[in-house]
Amino acid sequence: MSYTITEKCNGCGACVRICPADAISGEKKKIHSIDAGLCIECGACGRICPQSALLDEKGSPCTMIKRSEWPKPQIEIAACVACGICIDACPVGCLAMSAQPRSKGVDPFPYLNDARACIGCGFCSLDCPMDVITMPKPLKA
Amino acid sequence: MMNKPYMGKILMVDLSAKTVTEEIIPDDVYKQYLSGMGLGAYILYNRIPAGADPLGPENILGFCSGFLTGTGSLFSGRWTLVGKSPLTGGWGDANCGGTFSPAIKHCGYDAIFFKGISDKPVYLYVKNGKAEIKDAEGIWGLDAVEAEDKLEKMYGPKAHAAVIGTSGENVSLISGVCTDSGRIAARSGLGAVMGSKKLKAVVVDGVQRIGVHDPAEMKRLSRHCAKWTKFPMPLSLLPGIGMALMGTFLRITPIMFAQDGLLYKTILKKWGTGGMNQMSIEMGDSPLKNWDGSNRDFRLKKSGKINPDIIINTEIVKYHCHSCPLGCGGICATKGKYAHTHKPEYESILALGGLCMNEDMDSLFYLNELLNRAGMDTISAGATVAFAIECYEKGILTKKDTDGLELKWGNTDAAVALIKKMIAREGIGDILADGSKVAAKKIGKGSEAYTVHAGGQEPAMHDGRNDPGFNVHYSVEATPGRHTIGAHLYYEMFQLWKRVKGLPRPNLLFFKGSKYKTNEEKAKASAACSKFMSMANGAGMCMFGVFIGIKRVPTFDWLNAATGWNMTPDEYMTVGERIQTIKQAFNVRHGIEPKNNFISKRAQGNPPQKEGANKGRFVDVEKLAADYWKEFGWDPANGKPKEETLKRLGIM
Repeated sequence: MSYTITEKCNGCGACVRICPADAISGEKKKIHSIDAGLCIECGACGRICPQSALLDEKGSPCTMIKRSEWPKPQIEIAACVACGICIDACPVGCLAMSAQPRSKGVDPFPYLNDARACIGCGFCSLDCPMDVITMPKPLKA
Repeated sequence: MMNKPYMGKILMVDLSAKTVTEEIIPDDVYKQYLSGMGLGAYILYNRIPAGADPLGPENILGFCSGFLTGTGSLFSGRWTLVGKSPLTGGWGDANCGGTFSPAIKHCGYDAIFFKGISDKPVYLYVKNGKAEIKDAEGIWGLDAVEAEDKLEKMYGPKAHAAVIGTSGENVSLISGVCTDSGRIAARSGLGAVMGSKKLKAVVVDGVQRIGVHDPAEMKRLSRHCAKWTKFPMPLSLLPGIGMALMGTFLRITPIMFAQDGLLYKTILKKWGTGGMNQMSIEMGDSPLKNWDGSNRDFRLKKSGKINPDIIINTEIVKYHCHSCPLGCGGICATKGKYAHTHKPEYESILALGGLCMNEDMDSLFYLNELLNRAGMDTISAGATVAFAIECYEKGILTKKDTDGLELKWGNTDAAVALIKKMIAREGIGDILADGSKVAAKKIGKGSEAYTVHAGGQEPAMHDGRNDPGFNVHYSVEATPGRHTIGAHLYYEMFQLWKRVKGLPRPNLLFFKGSKYKTNEEKAKASAACSKFMSMANGAGMCMFGVFIGIKRVPTFDWLNAATGWNMTPDEYMTVGERIQTIKQAFNVRHGIEPKNNFISKRAQGNPPQKEGANKGRFVDVEKLAADYWKEFGWDPANGKPKEETLKRLGIM
């Protein structure tokens, strides 16, 4: 399954720029398309498209969300086993493993290293075997 | 994303023709071989022509990710490097952790293979299914850490590089391939194969998702595994010297107890593999003084200088490979030229330490980093230095040969200088840079008597005179000298009899002497270790993880939850049997006479040692090997797989 682009697309290219899988292509100002073999269903295109021209893998239309309101990972370190699966799951590499031990213990801990790069896909949370990552929406300042 | 744990494709790169070809692998192959070492063995068996030069264009080098890697299972982040070994002339593989295994799959491939030879140094860059052979100018000549840093900076946070250091470039037959600034696929000399192909690095940079059949079950099993990994044991309160004294006790007591992997995981969690440093010497597990010495040559006062507490006092933070909840690795602060290094492993410390009678811990930290950067195998490097020291002692090598180095037991400065020469392939170092067997051939003068190797590869720092199981596997594995497959101790810890039919359950208490008896039960246990670890290496499982026990680290159940195959543990053991047999068939095809791979007589206890922990011990490798071969359906007279066995396993 894959996300798809509808004819509402005006070819602005916002989705091409954000897609971490290089799955979207198309000429400027023309309807773009998604390579189903490459799409990883992270949903970044759906959240960024100003035309709401994306359908998700189930065929439901996506609505644009202001980037500052995209959910971000919150990690409960105490129950984390430092397996690094979240870091590997992140398609943009915004998570990193600390170079220092956690405050209580000797193991390192994963943290959001590059919050601006995060696309709010939630793969880190989905893949965490210990379920210690949640994806809350950022609180409004 | 598909709901299966493998990508179903491989990449075949021809460095001579400069072509990159994607190939689809039928589902059936995965069911028979998994991926990782299994898929590697399947491809290489079918495609490397008999008699191919390991350093020539016909050899194929493969980077194979584990079948369970990236599926949400734990302890499953290992990848296998495969190729025909220039060190042994037969099947070669090397296992490595770090973060490279999932990165291969994220590019859409289970494995990447290289054939041919490039006319100039190159590297491969794969991004989301698109692969490009690139000029390695500016990277060739750098050490492994520098090269990896440079490539990863160039390509961003999702890029992972496997690189050779200068030893691989110099086609040293004891060199390996490095990732993650010091995790190294070191054995079998496959770094030399990569160097011979003029391939400096493989950079994988992808985001493809890895699927599974039943994600909820995968998570449930992983929770179960994590619970056992965290299981508290009072052993963790012991100081390092307590471990040493436990070793002394194990040496003295005539009665042994079957070990539970929970003990070893506690040692790994607290200290890492180095937790065994002193204990192993005390109990006779670690060879000393080029396998000729004993614990009496390296008493507690001396071995105290490599006490594991000293090592973890320098540890800044633990290091976990991908999907590892345990974290036996660490990053250590060191004095001198390099600010930090991956915590030196037991094997490195004892090969460069005990085997050379060197107890200078600072030098061991330094050599660890130096060799990681050069991409040279610490086991073979240490063993080759020990060999050279003994040759010097016996007058076979003189000061003139060594360019003035006083190669004496425990002369740290001379050992460091010699290793630098080996890395630079300078003077005597050029002779030693291909391991002890090749060196003995060049030196002559009877020096062969002082090499300890199996089929050309130096065995690891576990003495088969203490645990005869090691001598079996050193001698019968398709990659001779390998310590990461089986032993009496390993069989006890795997606890396979709890899931696999017909396997003997070890006695809780037993007399030490009983380990040396040869019988059918021993052969069954050894064969089970080989089958299981071949399967586990296909799955990408970490041996230290599976030591915790098959019910606690549920490899079979993860495989079923990931695939929906519903195969029985016995059927998975047959997968392992197939992988083990195809590797053996590979060796036979390439002219290896299995008997010639037996470990050197000295390590068999022939003649037996006169003092120390292993006094009087002799291991009847010939008999043990014949029993093992019979158990596999290979000819017990020569170790060659029988036609009917190949047919039964579907190996053409």
